[in-house]
Amino acid sequence: MSEIKVLIVDDEVEFAATLAERLELRDIAAETVNNGKDALSTILVRTPDVVILDLKMPDLSGLEVLNGIKSHDPSIEVIMLTGHGSTSSGIEGMERGAFDYIMKPIDLDLLLEKINQAYEQRTLRKQP
Amino acid sequence: MNKFNRWLAKFLPGDEYGTDDASGMNKRYKTFRISLLTTMLTISMLPATITAAIGYFQYRDLLQTTEREQLLWNLEGAHKTMQALINELHSSIEFIVREDRCDEILEQGTLDTMLIRLKLKYNGFVDLGVIDSRGIQLTYAGPYKLQGYNYRVQEWFDQVVSRGFYISNVFLGYRNIPHFVIAISKKRPDTEEFWVLRATINADTLQNFISTINTKASDDIFLVSRTGKLQTSSRFFGNSMEYCPVCETSSHIHDIVKLERGMGDVLQVSAALENTPWMLVLIKQKYVHQAAWSSFRKRLLLIFLCCSVACLVISYSLSTMLTNRIRETDEKRQSLLTEAEHSNKLASIGRLAAGVAHEINNPLAIIDQKSGLMQDLLGLTEDFKYKDKFYTSIAGIQNGVSRCKAITHRLLGFARRMDVILEEIKLNELIQEVLNFLEKEAMYNRIRLELHFQEDLPTIYCDKGQLQQIFLNIINNAIDAIGKDGLISITSGVLQAKDVVVKIQDSGPGIPPNILKHIFDPFFTTKAPGKGTGLGLSITYGLVKKLGGDITVSSEVGKGATFEIRLPIKPDKSAERDKNE
Repeated sequence: MSEIKVLIVDDEVEFAATLAERLELRDIAAETVNNGKDALSTILVRTPDVVILDLKMPDLSGLEVLNGIKSHDPSIEVIMLTGHGSTSSGIEGMERGAFDYIMKPIDLDLLLEKINQAYEQRTLRKQP
Repeated sequence: MNKFNRWLAKFLPGDEYGTDDASGMNKRYKTFRISLLTTMLTISMLPATITAAIGYFQYRDLLQTTEREQLLWNLEGAHKTMQALINELHSSIEFIVREDRCDEILEQGTLDTMLIRLKLKYNGFVDLGVIDSRGIQLTYAGPYKLQGYNYRVQEWFDQVVSRGFYISNVFLGYRNIPHFVIAISKKRPDTEEFWVLRATINADTLQNFISTINTKASDDIFLVSRTGKLQTSSRFFGNSMEYCPVCETSSHIHDIVKLERGMGDVLQVSAALENTPWMLVLIKQKYVHQAAWSSFRKRLLLIFLCCSVACLVISYSLSTMLTNRIRETDEKRQSLLTEAEHSNKLASIGRLAAGVAHEINNPLAIIDQKSGLMQDLLGLTEDFKYKDKFYTSIAGIQNGVSRCKAITHRLLGFARRMDVILEEIKLNELIQEVLNFLEKEAMYNRIRLELHFQEDLPTIYCDKGQLQQIFLNIINNAIDAIGKDGLISITSGVLQAKDVVVKIQDSGPGIPPNILKHIFDPFFTTKAPGKGTGLGLSITYGLVKKLGGDITVSSEVGKGATFEIRLPIKPDKSAERDKNE
């Protein structure tokens, strides 16, 4: 079984780095970027399986990045991170093609579960 | 206008909110009511009083005039009668002293016959005497020996000589019997000398005659001399010859002089008798106190009293009603203001809380992840001396983080705009569902649940999730308040056909008044630190308001607390608007 490749997009550097490290410990290849532009440029070079995307970022908003990702490669699954304590923006993300959303501060086990589900869906989609 | 407004403001209560305490306000309302009552009474009673007074005096004047006229009419009649008597006496004597009979009556026999004739006509004639121009009584017919008596020096003699006719006042004389004198003087046709016929008449004649003038209109009728000496006896002023102080009249006498003198309720009229020194006096007592007047007064008083009572009752009830209306309006406005202030406060605290929560959320996520990483790495490390300590410390950090997480989530939930999804809800079933969650805990704490549901409770349109949260919060609070052993009773019903009401009553220790005031404030908690966020009831309050309902709490220390939640059967516009946004 090949390693799941995850791209974490969050302007909180410490958070992204720590989360990446913890995912690495669970055999998930995690890469971090700290803004939307970097995220869009990174997926051109290395296609991740799952993108974990913060909704609130200073330059490009999470929803804009989501649009960029989906227009580049619809098969890349996106899990939104919402900090509002609100379900509405998470649901809006899902309407625009995100796989799921999860509220911050995150429960790692829940996130892992969602990453696995997203990966399975992506594998299914890639099959002809 | 400004001045008038300021003056008006003095009387109108409720201008200074907050500055007046309750008793001050009560005093203001009282003053207002009293001034209103006074004004209304004055406005209504003044015209009534004026009308009554005008009627009273007008009618009294009318009655007085009528009675006075009647008395005067009577006086006129009596006067004519008296005058006729005097004229008759006069003409009887005049008949004797025809010019040509002078010598004839100088004879004693003739004079005696004359006296007998006169006595037949009027019993009062006492004697007759003929007096010559020197004043000496030449002939005398009568019971006394007066022949040869000289009257020259007496005053009446001059008067009769100069005027031809004289009537004296009643006097006693040396006979000591009241009598009066009529004298007529004539000139002898041959010698041009005066001679006088003098007749004496008993005063009884006058008395008898005046007694025959029977009048209903007067209480007293008598003759009086111009110096105030009674000529006939009077009911009020004594017998003849006595002095009557009120009867003194002016000295000049015309044919009929009517003298009116009102003494309290006594009316006196008098008229001078022609050719005599006498005045005829009529007296009427209590002349306005007749039946007509007293019945009029009674009726007037009755009507006036009825009017007054009606005015008083109407003014009193009207002023009370107006004051109460104003007070109610004031109180309503005051409570609306307080409520608006309260929701405003809650909203701004909510926004602040949400901002803080959001800012804290990010660092919290980092602490969470960092501690998670530490835990992960610890699992990969070989055992070392303090490994267990590290594990417990990390668990402590994560416990703290999850507590913070709970707070920030609830805070954000409190502040965020909630999506209201309206659906048909059977409230009784919904409460039962919520109770299913809590039954175990209640049972464990030996808390009994009593349900008094109205069976045919109408279906309401509301948000299910939010309703569940509301009831969960309140019932949970009730269980927490009771602790162990107690009763929670839940009642549902309909209020005024437009709201459903759920009452949740617990048998807990109750809430002191100072806490009751703040019970819906965010972060207000009486639970031990870490046991409660102080947001439960605040969120519940926000939710109920959002759904267009209302939540109130009443409690007394030692008697438990009652939460009453009112929800509209049909959602109002604010709930609809939230849904559309």
